[in-house]
This record gives sequence, structure tokens and C-alpha cells, in this order.
Amino acid sequence: MDKSPYIRSRWFEDLPVGEFHVFGSYTFSEKEIVDFGRKYAPNVYHTDPEAALDTIYRGLIASGWHICAVWMRMMVEYMERFATGVRDGRRNGAGVGFQDLKWIKPVRPGHTLTFTYEIIEKDEKVIRDRWGIIRSRNEAFNQYGELVFSFVIDILAERRPNP
Amino acid sequence: MTASSIRHWPDIRQGESFTTDRITVSRRDILEFAAEFDPQPYHLDAEAANASIFGGLCASGWHVTALMMRLLTDTFNAQRIDLLGSSGVSSLRWRKPVFAGDTLSAAITVTGHNPPAPGSAFGFIDCDVEVDNQQGERVIVLNTSLMIGRGQEVAHG
Repeated sequence: MDKSPYIRSRWFEDLPVGEFHVFGSYTFSEKEIVDFGRKYAPNVYHTDPEAALDTIYRGLIASGWHICAVWMRMMVEYMERFATGVRDGRRNGAGVGFQDLKWIKPVRPGHTLTFTYEIIEKDEKVIRDRWGIIRSRNEAFNQYGELVFSFVIDILAERRPNP
Repeated sequence: MTASSIRHWPDIRQGESFTTDRITVSRRDILEFAAEFDPQPYHLDAEAANASIFGGLCASGWHVTALMMRLLTDTFNAQRIDLLGSSGVSSLRWRKPVFAGDTLSAAITVTGHNPPAPGSAFGFIDCDVEVDNQQGERVIVLNTSLMIGRGQEVAHG
């Protein structure tokens, strides 16, 4: 039985430092930027395309936390595809925290970000008898090839059970 | 609103602190955010969530950070602080899951006050932000760098 056919298809031990993935690309629409801004970051540069023209950004930009949320969506979708057909259990771990998150350039309506992921470190410390920590560097580039967003996140991965 | 009522970067003091309003997270909020941004079983399905590391249906960690931003933004707007965005987060930890019905509030402390670069329209403040639930348990903790308008443009017309 497979109740959670999602995300990770490999054990902690099978995820190598240096592994690199391109999750894919996502285009931000004005409506999505405004919807997110109204709910979670109600300042005019996130909510009002006209009023945003008079701010330092000279136009509407996505909330940085919107970029984070879209990163998550891209990772989940990518991992689902990556795990397709694998039946030997799912190592679906939660995020523990992140470091060095930088919003480097504004993301505007119509901008397309491409998200990349690289495993940079593994923490062998065993958590709750079951999990290890995979540390990855994540970056997003816009359609001009400019780095606009980066961070390093720690995500739990299930360790191979003892036989 | 008069220009002088707006608080600019020079008006913020290191050590200053703010307590935000509260916000309650509903089951529907959790499901909607998860469906759009984080469609993993423990954010979408109660049965899968019960079997997960969280022990029940809980909000996406990125939903929690977004709610933190809402609390912070509302507080800064109410204080008429000229918030121009954030340049980053040096660290964040997700300490406890947020479940349906939980009520969150945040404490914000200014830990750094870094002057504008020459010609820049804003200075930076570093803030420690602690988000707690209704039981006083720490849900997330982070340090973020916020951009605050320097105000000179206003002073000089």
C-alpha cells in the first residue's frame, strides 16, 4: 500500500553531496503578485500596480515570501515527477530551517524564474531515530540570467532502516 | 497624513521592540495555501498528516512565514514606519507545527541599525522576530534585514 506517493524516493544515505537539479521555471502574473501581497504583505509595491510606480521599485514587485512559496511549489512538483514509479517507501521530510536567504533583485509581473537546487552538505546527526538532514543551496535566475534569489535550507530525509 | 508623522530610518532605535496583533489560522486557510504552494500530504490530508512527523494537519512552513510577514507589515504600517521591503533573512528555524485554530502573534526586536549607503533611499534595520502560538510556544524564530526609507527626500521636498 502506498498512502503518500509523493516527493522523495531515496533514503538519506542515497542522496549524494553535489547532486544538482533544475526544478523548472515559473512566470509570475500581476494577479498572483497582487493576491499574495493583499493577503500577506500589504504594501503598495506588492498590491497596487499604479501606486507602485511612485515607490523606489517604480512598479509592482512580488513579495519575497511569495518567491519562497513558489520555490516550494516547484520543488514539490519536481520531486513528485522524480519519484514517479518508485514503490519502496517515501522519505518525505520536513524543513527544519534555512540560512543566508537573499532577495537580490525585484521580481515583476511577467518575469520568469528558473529554480536550481544543489545538495551541499549532509548532517549525519540522527534525529528521532529516523531522520538525517540534507542541506541544499537553492537559487533562482530570471529570464535575463540574473541571480534574483538564493538560500540554504535544511530538510529532513529518512535514513535507511536497519535490517 | 503629514510627512512628519511617518517614521523613517533615523527615527528607529536599536533595541526598540514591537508586539504585533494576533492572527488565527483556519483549516481552510491551511488547505488553500497548501493547494496553491505546498501540496504535500501532511498539509492537505488529515490521515496522512496524522501518520507524519507532525502528528496532524498543519500549515506549510512557508504559510507560517507569510503570516509572520502579514503581522509585521500590519504593525509597521500602523506605526507609520516607511517599510520598503526586506533584503534577506540570515536564519530561520521552524520550531513547532501550526495547526488549524492556532493563533499566532510576533515579537519584533531591532538588533541592528545600519546607515544608508551614499545616495541610497533607505537604511537597514536587523530584526529578531519570534512568532508564538496561543500557548506561548515558539513556532518560528528568524532574523531579517528590513529596508526603511531614509526620509531625506521628504525633508528636502
